[in-house]
Amino acid sequence: MKEIELYEPRIVAFFCHWCSYGAADLAGVSRMEYPASFRAVRIPCTGRMSPKFILHALRQGADGIWVSGCHPGDCHYGTGNYHSRRRLELLKNMLDYIGIEEGRIHFSWISSAEAEKFQQMAIRVVEAVRGLGPNTRLVKSVCSNCIPPVPTCDTMHECYEPLEEIPGAPRPNGSCCGGNGL
Amino acid sequence: MQHRILSKDSLAAFLEGLRKEHVVYAPKRDKKVPNKMVWKILEPGESPLFEFANTDMSPKDFVFPQSECLMRFRTGEDGTSVLKPIEPEPRKTLLFNVRPCDGKGLSFMDMIFCQDEQTNDVYWRDKRERTLMVGLACNNPCPSCFCHEANCGPHSETGLDVLMTDLGTRLLLKPLTDRGATLVDGLPEAAPGDVDRAEELKGTVEASMKPVIRTEHLEARSLMDAYNLPYWDRVCEACINCGTCTFVCPTCHCFDIQDETTPDGEEGRRVRNWDFCMSPLFTLHTSGHNPRGKKMARVRQRFMHKYKYIPMKRNGEVGCVGCGRCVRLCPVNIDIRDVINAMNAPAEAKPEGQEV
Amino acid sequence: MMKTRTEAIRAAARTLLEEGRVDAVIGYVQGTIPLRAQPFVAYTPEECDRFIWSSFCGGNLASIASGRTDRVAVVAQGCVSRNLNGLVHENRIQRENLYIIGVPCIGMLDQRKVEAKLFGRNIEFLKRDPEEDLGEIVVGGCNAMGECYEEVIKRRDVKRDNCYTCMHRNPVGADTVVVEPVSETAGGDINAVATPWMRFDADRRWEEFAKNFEDCIRCYACRDVCPLCYCTTCFVDESNPQWCGKTQDSADVQTFHILRAFHCAGRCTDCGACESACPQGIKMRRLTSMLEKDVRTLWGHEPGMDSTTKPPLSTYRPDDPEDHFK
Repeated sequence: MKEIELYEPRIVAFFCHWCSYGAADLAGVSRMEYPASFRAVRIPCTGRMSPKFILHALRQGADGIWVSGCHPGDCHYGTGNYHSRRRLELLKNMLDYIGIEEGRIHFSWISSAEAEKFQQMAIRVVEAVRGLGPNTRLVKSVCSNCIPPVPTCDTMHECYEPLEEIPGAPRPNGSCCGGNGL
Repeated sequence: MQHRILSKDSLAAFLEGLRKEHVVYAPKRDKKVPNKMVWKILEPGESPLFEFANTDMSPKDFVFPQSECLMRFRTGEDGTSVLKPIEPEPRKTLLFNVRPCDGKGLSFMDMIFCQDEQTNDVYWRDKRERTLMVGLACNNPCPSCFCHEANCGPHSETGLDVLMTDLGTRLLLKPLTDRGATLVDGLPEAAPGDVDRAEELKGTVEASMKPVIRTEHLEARSLMDAYNLPYWDRVCEACINCGTCTFVCPTCHCFDIQDETTPDGEEGRRVRNWDFCMSPLFTLHTSGHNPRGKKMARVRQRFMHKYKYIPMKRNGEVGCVGCGRCVRLCPVNIDIRDVINAMNAPAEAKPEGQEV
Repeated sequence: MMKTRTEAIRAAARTLLEEGRVDAVIGYVQGTIPLRAQPFVAYTPEECDRFIWSSFCGGNLASIASGRTDRVAVVAQGCVSRNLNGLVHENRIQRENLYIIGVPCIGMLDQRKVEAKLFGRNIEFLKRDPEEDLGEIVVGGCNAMGECYEEVIKRRDVKRDNCYTCMHRNPVGADTVVVEPVSETAGGDINAVATPWMRFDADRRWEEFAKNFEDCIRCYACRDVCPLCYCTTCFVDESNPQWCGKTQDSADVQTFHILRAFHCAGRCTDCGACESACPQGIKMRRLTSMLEKDVRTLWGHEPGMDSTTKPPLSTYRPDDPEDHFK
């Protein structure tokens, strides 16, 4: 039980610029306490939400997803959230169907005035994901699934030993390699 | 080397012997999909199938996996280091009941991956050296097979370590390499009558395969002439540009190399994946230019590569073993045999250098 | 005597080309091996004599018509005609450039199922291919030793999965229908079989999902054969950001299949071309049929029934269900 309490999930939250993002701000300046387990990504409108974003977050190791936007009828652009509502309803059904646990993916409508709802929702999302533990489904791993003769391993350090540095090999350099060290 | 004979009753004991040093794979019926044959580990007590056409996928995956990790790397403050895998247990793989066309296919790919000192692919060689192939001669070729016309044949021996001929209740084993001879060592020698019977079978089977493709003009035809055939505009209309034909092909060997990193970019691996010339991405340049931007050019590439470019470069060897997989599995039934015949047939060519 | 479908298609196609009403006719010709048909584009009346209709026209000719700018006629059964309607709506084909030669369909057969019944024997000919739903096909062949066989197989035992539950076997919105209509549905209940994993718990559903797609070789035949997939650059080919890796890792393969199916949601007519095209026999319809069932339940939409209704994910109603939103 203790371990579960200690486990901090990584949640990617997509907030609409015009409402839920503001609600997060308001909750902050109002000194409301809420868990810090999610990374907020500001999107212009929930209509911008693509299923790809959700799958990409899971793929990169997110344990949970939370998408929040304006109440139906209140979209800054008129109909963005109406469209995303259909898309996300269907996507959630599909992800349920293939076995992504119910509590990993959350959607909500939170206006910029609803700091309290934001706080409650944040607690609810984090608790649900924490209860499920780390996500293993649809996660891309560049280390497992090695194909023989390269042995399978959980962390690279277990099954590999470093060679000495290759003489003359280029150093990671932000200017020429996009800074990703390749 | 001396032919050996093996009764199917004592097959289990023979396979048990093979299992001591090898992981034995054989074609098995797939549990999920009707009429699909797959390469699977032959478990102890399981008897291999002899009455089957061929596996849906060629066994090239054993030597040239669809995704293969080539190396791993790590970046740190002091630079990038390449990580060396801990020496794995040398595992030998034995493919039992390989069809001769697939044996020929791997031997063809040897020529690609291990050309000379400069081109000597360690990843290929490593697995190739650890893979033994016990072939099973075809006594009942499919209507879609044309191996006899693609420098191969239903009883072809190229690339195999042992060739088995099914004589009904017994198998005649012909060792073809030293490794093969070691495998069959200890089996009783075959009587001359059995060897004759296998020869006779070979003759009957080869005679039963009707001639279907003609290539007599193709060799002499100029490259540009074949390249500019109006036929290409028609054959590509049905093509959907998927990768089925290349992925099921025992001689298609194109690949793409990608580096994949963890989200923080600290660790990563280099992976080699099969790629296919039917995909527009295959030739897309970083600039956005695509030399094979049109479907017609991509369709043409595959057939020209197999039956014109490779024969020109490699002394008449063709990039095809006639296994017929692409004929059977193409979603739109584009038949390579028709395409070859069209490439061979005299036809009016388009003006040279036409924009494609 | 009533014309067979093959005769009727040839006659219709020939007339259209002779009268100059279209520039090309897209149909099927006999495949080079039995149990196959090959898509073919005819430009002259003479070429029309090659057209056939068989129980193995399991592709989707709408994908060949898609994006063409000349005037084409397309031989279309129920599902394909609905795809054409959808493509007209999506501006992939101009309706005035399109002529739909409608063919009432009795369901296509799955060649794998036929082959499985004859395991180990070569199929060299299809001797009989009746145009009745409950008919029997006759296939046969010979081996290298000259021993021959013939086998009678009931059509209803070897139909493609999607054809058992077809809802619209007669063409929708066709310019001409070449033979008498058949009963509109195939009899099977699509809603009853659309979500076979629903009865399991999440872990088991994940297991089934993973197992279903584990054999995928990423040849993209399912995508390429599908008339709904016409993006200039597919998301799997995008490299920055790379939504989907290029490897055989299960995460990459699964991401591809989830997104491919989702991109077809609300537009899929359950034509079954993806499953027919797959060299590995993967059941992509496990995902698409689930999505289409939801589309019907949530928004009451059936794709392709006309060329003016917007696909459900391109529109909305203020009172749409929102069970997943808090």
